[in-house]
Amino acid sequence: MSVYALNYLFRETLRDHAFRAQMKSDPAAAVAKYNLTEDERSALLSADIGRLYDMGVNAFLMGYLCRFELLGLTPEIYYDRIHTSKRTAASK
Amino acid sequence: MAQIVGAFAAPHTPFFPWRVETEGSDCQTARLFAEIKKRFDAARPDLVVIFDTDHLNTFFFDNLPIFAVGVTDHFTGPNDEPRGGMKVHTIPSHAGLAAHIRRQGVDAGFDLALVQDFSVDHSVAVPLYFLTPDFRMPTIPIFISGHVPPLPSARRCFELGRQVRLSIESWKEPLRVAIVGTGSFSLEVWGPKIKRGTSDGVPAPEWVTQVCRYLENDQIDALIEAATEKRMLAAGSAGGELLNVIAMLGTIDNKVPEFIAPEMAHGHAYGAWKGN
Repeated sequence: MSVYALNYLFRETLRDHAFRAQMKSDPAAAVAKYNLTEDERSALLSADIGRLYDMGVNAFLMGYLCRFELLGLTPEIYYDRIHTSKRTAASK
Repeated sequence: MAQIVGAFAAPHTPFFPWRVETEGSDCQTARLFAEIKKRFDAARPDLVVIFDTDHLNTFFFDNLPIFAVGVTDHFTGPNDEPRGGMKVHTIPSHAGLAAHIRRQGVDAGFDLALVQDFSVDHSVAVPLYFLTPDFRMPTIPIFISGHVPPLPSARRCFELGRQVRLSIESWKEPLRVAIVGTGSFSLEVWGPKIKRGTSDGVPAPEWVTQVCRYLENDQIDALIEAATEKRMLAAGSAGGELLNVIAMLGTIDNKVPEFIAPEMAHGHAYGAWKGN
């Protein structure tokens, strides 16, 4: 159930401005306190939007990463990466 | 006794206040909101009941009710920093009437969750920004889970609207109540169906047109039949917000709109209906 932790973390980038700032300056340290699997942590820190989406996260919440320009994301990069998701392919 | 004096379909796109402040009263969004605002004012409401889908801000995955009623004397919003900026307001409410709506709803078989200490996101704050710009009109939010499956059925939401009407009409004060249903018919937010380079997209414009046709022609049963969870979510991750408009329709007798107009770029519509 740690998809819950990912979703929670995404929402914290909206609600907790200090966390948002740390996600910009030192994302590895920012996410350290979250109980993520190694797979989730690496997908998150590499902004692998397609893999995160395959894990079942909520896209609306994941979008905050892009909205707040975290992890090097731009709307174009976000779009291209979410389209690497198999969940996307299945729903096409 | 309280009475319903008008019913409205209103969008809640987060950046609309910013757009109208930037582009002025001639832009399409400003003109469409003006169409429903003039009918809202003509109905002279004392209070708003708004059917709304929260975007995981008031609620979250730890506690996600299908239906909930805000029972409080006031709440705040928006709590989600809408794009372009929006001041946070304290919005008055009416705990007595809200508790009555919940009491009677539960008695009638609707398991309405209670929420007393809360803030709301852009989905309540944006419609109020346009309809009650001073944010002083008491407002009761009724939350419908329209984003995260399983969604309540369209029929159930319509019946909830009918029950809310009965509750309002059995309330002791002679309040004039406006009903608002807010949301998109087709909108994907940050999911795979967005338009490249933006945060959203309208994957099913033909569904928006079809919903508007049902609304224009008073074909509410056909709309309810068509608005399955599968159909709504195929129209985007926010497609279930249509349930708020369907609940609103349950509160009124005359379902022929006085005004209805889609805004295709955003997959939603503006509408105004007479009260009872």
